[in-house]
Amino acid sequence: MDELRTQRYRRHDLIDWFSQERVAAARTAVIGAGAVGNEVVKNLALLGVGEIDVYDFDVVERHNLTRSVLLREADVGRGKAEAVAERARELDPHVTVRSIAGDFWDTLSLGRLESYDCAIAAVDNIEARLRLNQMCQIAGVDFVNSGLDSRWVTVESFPFGSTPGVACYECTLPDTAYARVAERYSCGGLRRRAQLERRIPTTVVTASIAGALVASTALRFGTDATLAHSRRVLIDTIGGSSSVVEIDRRDGCPGCGAFAAPPRVVRTRNCWAPRSESAADESLGELPLRLSDALITSYECTACGPLAAAGRYINQRAAAFDDSIATCPSCAAPSVRIEIRDAFSLGELMQRFGYSMAPVKYALAELEGGPVCIDLEEYPIQ
Amino acid sequence: MSQSIKLYVRTADQTRRAELNLDPGSTGADIIQAAVDNWTLPADTDYTLVNTTTGRALAPGEDLAKAARPGDVLEVQPVLVAG
Repeated sequence: MDELRTQRYRRHDLIDWFSQERVAAARTAVIGAGAVGNEVVKNLALLGVGEIDVYDFDVVERHNLTRSVLLREADVGRGKAEAVAERARELDPHVTVRSIAGDFWDTLSLGRLESYDCAIAAVDNIEARLRLNQMCQIAGVDFVNSGLDSRWVTVESFPFGSTPGVACYECTLPDTAYARVAERYSCGGLRRRAQLERRIPTTVVTASIAGALVASTALRFGTDATLAHSRRVLIDTIGGSSSVVEIDRRDGCPGCGAFAAPPRVVRTRNCWAPRSESAADESLGELPLRLSDALITSYECTACGPLAAAGRYINQRAAAFDDSIATCPSCAAPSVRIEIRDAFSLGELMQRFGYSMAPVKYALAELEGGPVCIDLEEYPIQ
Repeated sequence: MSQSIKLYVRTADQTRRAELNLDPGSTGADIIQAAVDNWTLPADTDYTLVNTTTGRALAPGEDLAKAARPGDVLEVQPVLVAG
């Protein structure tokens, strides 16, 4: 370390269990630059974490300023990730803080996720947590989830990287949570147009407590025996009480049930057809695949028949569209029959979509040797 | 024949607490639903159940007769979503 860095971290060096070198070598992804994301990034930057990547698709609004420590009036209208990363770099110029604008589902590949020591969910919805939970299991990356309201804080740690085979976020998730996610969609996968978003009030008090515990947890994976098991901390910021419970793996869990062992990741170009004809043998053609995203597979009006617009929708992610596409562009009636699926055989995908681009992140399969994840994002076709 | 066991259930803020005789085959989801109904907990929130005596979170469909012992204290905790 140079002299300036040595001076900056001098007090940290007095802590016998704290290794500045280890912290400086850490790479962390923070998903969400809202209230908790601000606090987490602030803490990681001040601690001197070497690399911090901030993911967020949203822009700063004035009401964010009451609980976002890194944002200022001048940031209103800017991208949250960009603004937060810029302020964090001001806190410590020795730290590398990058901003990645956009939905993490589109911007964070499995390959990139593997490069992190830890991924942190500072998001505001269950669906994003479900996705991160699965991605971190596949990538074998330690995962911290946080949630809050105006009184309570929860921080959950899942050491998928340091202790494979532990319980996941879904192991205790109630059925009502899945039902609430499903309410956001119609026709089995299209976004609902008229969906009232529930606004949960939070304050900087709960956000700062969550951010502190998340940062502490993220940096202690692999060094703290209590973090060798999935666990949840719940804090009452008014009453002052807290509880810590261990989370056991659930039989048949929808989140980790398919991963009795960590999946083997195979990277290929994002095209449904195999790289070579030899790979297209019959046994592989029968291979059942579960896609990371549901696809639209047919689009036809029950009154007008096949539609010219079908080409815009077939072999596209269903979640990219809302339920307005169920209205027929020819007869204007809500009579379009849309088939949406996420389970196929490889042969069926090749037959239906040939050499078309695969608009999904990955596909999961079960082979004799264990689960396999086919990563379709790393080698885009031109 | 299975016998019912006596447990205690409370909310996370400990303002609500009840003693209950657990019916054979009861699950965590059953207890949560009863708590939401009887204590009029906010219906727009999801909940999980933890056994504070053993320090373990309970899976929604877990058979409580296997996951709890007489006298254990179960706590209904909110699933927090905001970030």
